[in-house]
Amino acid sequence: MAVVGIPILEDLYPVTMDMWPLEAKEFNRIWQFYENLKQGRFTTTKCKDCGFVAYPPRVICPECYSENLEYIDLPTKGKIIVFSEEVKGVPLGFESPLIHAVIDLGVPPVRRLLSRIVNCPAGVLKRGDEVQLAVFPVPSIPIEKGKAGTVMADRVFFAFEPVKK
Amino acid sequence: MSRKAVILAGGQCKWGVREAHIVDLFQEAAKACLDDIPTLKPKDIDGLIVATSYAGRCSFQVNTAPVVAERCGLKPTSICTRCDTLCAGGSTGIILAKGLVEAGAADIVMVAGGEKLYTPQKWEVFYSELASVDHDWDGAQGMGLPPPFFALTAQEHMLHYGTKKEHLAAVSVANYNYAADNPVAQMQKKLTLEEAMNAPIVVPPLTLYDCCPITDGAAACIITTDEIARKFTDRPLVYIRGTAQVCLNSVSANFPGEHLADWKHTRIAAQKAYERAKVTPNDIKVAQTHDCFSISEVIEVEELGFCKKGEGGEFCASKQIEIGGKVPVNTDGGLLAVGHPFGATGIRQAIEILKQLQGRARHQVKDADIGLTHNLSGANAEHTILIYGREPVK
Ligand SMILES: [Zn+2]
Repeated sequence: MAVVGIPILEDLYPVTMDMWPLEAKEFNRIWQFYENLKQGRFTTTKCKDCGFVAYPPRVICPECYSENLEYIDLPTKGKIIVFSEEVKGVPLGFESPLIHAVIDLGVPPVRRLLSRIVNCPAGVLKRGDEVQLAVFPVPSIPIEKGKAGTVMADRVFFAFEPVKK
Repeated sequence: MSRKAVILAGGQCKWGVREAHIVDLFQEAAKACLDDIPTLKPKDIDGLIVATSYAGRCSFQVNTAPVVAERCGLKPTSICTRCDTLCAGGSTGIILAKGLVEAGAADIVMVAGGEKLYTPQKWEVFYSELASVDHDWDGAQGMGLPPPFFALTAQEHMLHYGTKKEHLAAVSVANYNYAADNPVAQMQKKLTLEEAMNAPIVVPPLTLYDCCPITDGAAACIITTDEIARKFTDRPLVYIRGTAQVCLNSVSANFPGEHLADWKHTRIAAQKAYERAKVTPNDIKVAQTHDCFSISEVIEVEELGFCKKGEGGEFCASKQIEIGGKVPVNTDGGLLAVGHPFGATGIRQAIEILKQLQGRARHQVKDADIGLTHNLSGANAEHTILIYGREPVK
């Protein structure tokens, strides 16, 4: 696809314009978080030495600087503390209504997680409503692999959605 | 005698939607700055700190300091660098310049901040905001543009402290009215409470005048020592008495307060800055706080200690932030009305405090001898405070 004004970028991927994370193993040492998401798991890293649970996941423990970490599951259901709804003027990349909420997943460090709420029309959400993890695909990206050519790396991302009653 | 940092002069170009290149804006700001101190020449300046965050996103230019130095006719021999702390970039530059001149590593430093945010197609600046917050976690959740985050903040303030929309509107009215006669402000019009209350919705409870605009602009100031400053000016000297910059989190999930309207990091920054400046909140005669949103100013006057926690709405609505009030705030119009070219904002604030403490501000606070500037930056991830005074810390 052509890029208006910059024809040389036709069919090229500009990483500095990508709204989603570079999740692939080749570019991210917390790729396991995204792999777990693909299985419907919401995870983060726990330090095997001091027990500290960090969010988002790390490659070192921010408390004791140990590299001895493991992935643990976080709850995938929680309750809405407060939320905001943007109907007009939603920025490029997101659909109206753009809903955000502070969610209590019940355990630290995700007692006050800010997340987008998807699969939900405007005007129906209430404080205290139950929400659950929603994983969705986002565009794959090309990664140059030398002689093997370019491979497409699949990606997912997450938000939360109302629990259907 | 130890070297003590002062702000000698400053100026800003016209802010708004500018038909100009980012380097044009820096040149205009450098000229406005030296127009404020005609005895100082470009060749006298031995240091340059450039504060910009979107150079590299909305203009294709990283390593901005040499570009700005060359275009502005500066040939620094002590320091020539860029700093990027988004909305606090200008203030950060001043803190760094203070350290350099007091240490003797530089003598006369220009701190210049600026952004060119309006692009040929407007989507790009909004889209680039995904990089203003923690990109992979908050940006990808659609938190790049800040209104949703501050709408949640306002809701929690309303929930915990009973703050009302009228309180938020009072901040917008005060700041717009301060800017109405400011020739370099983006918004130069008076605003009534009724207009503010009936403005178009952005993200409830925030409406149009609760949010600062997107702004092109630049500002520059000169930081030097008191001894050097006396060679160039007869005006009262304005010392940088104490500073603090506090960062406790980046991702919003790790917000340090009990809720989004509880700004623990602001309180820590204020305490540090007051200690270093050897003053208390009661000593502050005028303040320029980070009113990126009306709710921000409401919370800032609380966390800076100008009123009790939870009473910021009433403090603002009872005109305590206006001339004659307890602490006049954002006396040039603030971010809401002067605009907010991120790296330039802290310098704009410093210039207004300089003028207030020298008795030459447009909306002069009587007998202003101690002033404060404050910035928050990112998704409320960092707080930066500087305290200025007519006397040095003894
Ligand atoms: Zn540890």
